[in-house]
Amino acid sequence: MRSVKIPLACAAVAAVVLAGCGTTSERTGGSPSDGAAKSCKGADGKYTIGMSQANVAEPYRQRMDDDIRAAAKEVPQFDVKFADAAQDNAKQVADVENYITQQIDLLIISPNEAKPLTAVVKKAFDKGIPVIVLDRKVEGDAYTGFIGGDNVQIGSEAGKYVAEQLLPDGGNIVELKGLAGATPQAERHQGFADAIKANPKLKIIAAADGDWLREKGQSQMDALLKANPAIDVVYAHNDPMAEGAYLAAKAAGREKSIKFIGIDALPIPSGGIKAVEQGRLSATFTYPTNGKEAVAAARKLLIDCAAVPKSQVLPTRLIDKSNAAQTYARENPAG
Amino acid sequence: MTKNSVVATLFRFQSVFGLLAVVVAAIIFSPRKNGAILFVSADNLANVVRAVSEIGIIAVGMTFVILIGGIDLSVGAMLGLAAVGSAVLMVESDWGFLPSVLLVLVIGLVFGALQGAATAMIGIQSFIVTLAGLQIARGLARIWSDGQGVAIAYGDGPNEAPASFALLGERTFGGLVPIPVLIFAVVAVAAIVFLRVSAFSRHLYAVGGNEKAARLSGVPVVRVKVAVFAICGLLAALAGIVHAVQLNQGSPNDGIGYELDAIAAVVIGGTSLAGGRGSVAGTVAGALLLGVLNNILALNNIDSNIQLLIKGLVIVAAAALQRLRPAS
Repeated sequence: MRSVKIPLACAAVAAVVLAGCGTTSERTGGSPSDGAAKSCKGADGKYTIGMSQANVAEPYRQRMDDDIRAAAKEVPQFDVKFADAAQDNAKQVADVENYITQQIDLLIISPNEAKPLTAVVKKAFDKGIPVIVLDRKVEGDAYTGFIGGDNVQIGSEAGKYVAEQLLPDGGNIVELKGLAGATPQAERHQGFADAIKANPKLKIIAAADGDWLREKGQSQMDALLKANPAIDVVYAHNDPMAEGAYLAAKAAGREKSIKFIGIDALPIPSGGIKAVEQGRLSATFTYPTNGKEAVAAARKLLIDCAAVPKSQVLPTRLIDKSNAAQTYARENPAG
Repeated sequence: MTKNSVVATLFRFQSVFGLLAVVVAAIIFSPRKNGAILFVSADNLANVVRAVSEIGIIAVGMTFVILIGGIDLSVGAMLGLAAVGSAVLMVESDWGFLPSVLLVLVIGLVFGALQGAATAMIGIQSFIVTLAGLQIARGLARIWSDGQGVAIAYGDGPNEAPASFALLGERTFGGLVPIPVLIFAVVAVAAIVFLRVSAFSRHLYAVGGNEKAARLSGVPVVRVKVAVFAICGLLAALAGIVHAVQLNQGSPNDGIGYELDAIAAVVIGGTSLAGGRGSVAGTVAGALLLGVLNNILALNNIDSNIQLLIKGLVIVAAAALQRLRPAS
């Protein structure tokens, strides 16, 4: 039996090599400078849009996909496909390459990380496919439009809220940070730290990494509560960590004396808006998914044959007791 | 050829036939545009083989380990460590191309050899040793990179990687066969030839078939195990270098879960997890099968959750087919 092995093995290896040696020539892209005009076929056209998501396991990103799906339903010309990279840069590169193979009319991408995705986004753009980048940027300028939030500004709004509303007479703050090394973590910290300087009686007495996770926020807060008898405000870089911190404080019987604020304000049952409405968090700040805005941009590019701005930064909004219920009802009418 | 040997041949190369079946299915179910079958376009086939090359390189090493009845869970973390190592050495430490690549490969080799020594000499199961190895390699990668992805820019200046490194990620051979695929092909051919011609191969199958009997008949079991895990670590490090150059970054989070894809490729390739039976050629076919499957599911925009179900079922089917295989 062993004698058959070599030819078959060689055949398999030859297949690996030969598979790459087709005969069709590379499709040459037109001028990418005005990608909009090239693929625009007006209102009579049919368009396939590819959405490449970094990781739908995160509620924020699932919501982004849902927002795109809902907004695209309103546009009969659009057929949106979804791919999930499960937090793997290499998988996301393959996802975009597959979209290029399918000759989609427009790419929406929420990159897992900037550097590894830059080349493949440029490849799509150079083939004349308009590219809308959401939330995290890619390097260079080989894309049609970026839509995102400003994390420094969000941190700054949170800091102002603490300095002016929650603790005008000063007090002790604990900061629960996102994943170390992630850009939003650094920016949400910086904006906050700069804003609370306005009130010199405010002090960040402790900080810990909660990795964006509810359970990590809870366990870090358990330890912080033991070490710090006087805590007035917990500033968490996202809502799940703020909720985790609340649970820890409740277990220690101190949830009434501490105020909790978070970021993201997703209009979903497990999101921050509900937590504010139900009184666990004092406030949260919206970090828009921009799904709706991405579809609107696609509409402009493909149907209206118009240009979109190279960069759109959407402002954050404060959600507190006064507007939580109303905001939730507006952004998630289904429940 | 008797009827029995025909059946035996079918089973022996189930992954090759499986690959053919999946390729035929991919051609049939491929979306078409202007009459062209998108799956068979040169660009797409190049994407498919390029996307499997990293898992394929790892899976070749994994085949050696599984042939001796072991398992190596540390390869994904090793890939991350090697990707970080390549990026830090070339970008932050301004090392040259060759010294960086050599050091990273040596790290993989030594790391693997240590794991082999721990399992062979202390007698800890390789599952446990490499589970620990996974944590250690991931921790080292985080420390070495300060917990952040290290971007790779090319040029001659300080904090730039030599341009020669970029070649590793590029396309060649008429601009169509990517270098990572060539590396995979060379690794696979070398492994197949090595298993055919060296006496080591007999030892390897002997240890996997029956370790005690192998020891009694004079096979240097410890040396075989250390060598096998060293090869596996070396190939994981090589895959990490390929990973870094393709993504222009080395990140401590690279390669999470890759060990499972590699094991899946080996299992689909017909290598028995009990050891002693299997082939590198089968693994190559298994890796390609997974790659074609991933590609055709994506081209048809099958929901990502359903894709996971389908891949799970394929692995179960491959394992079930093995159970039906007559003893030879």
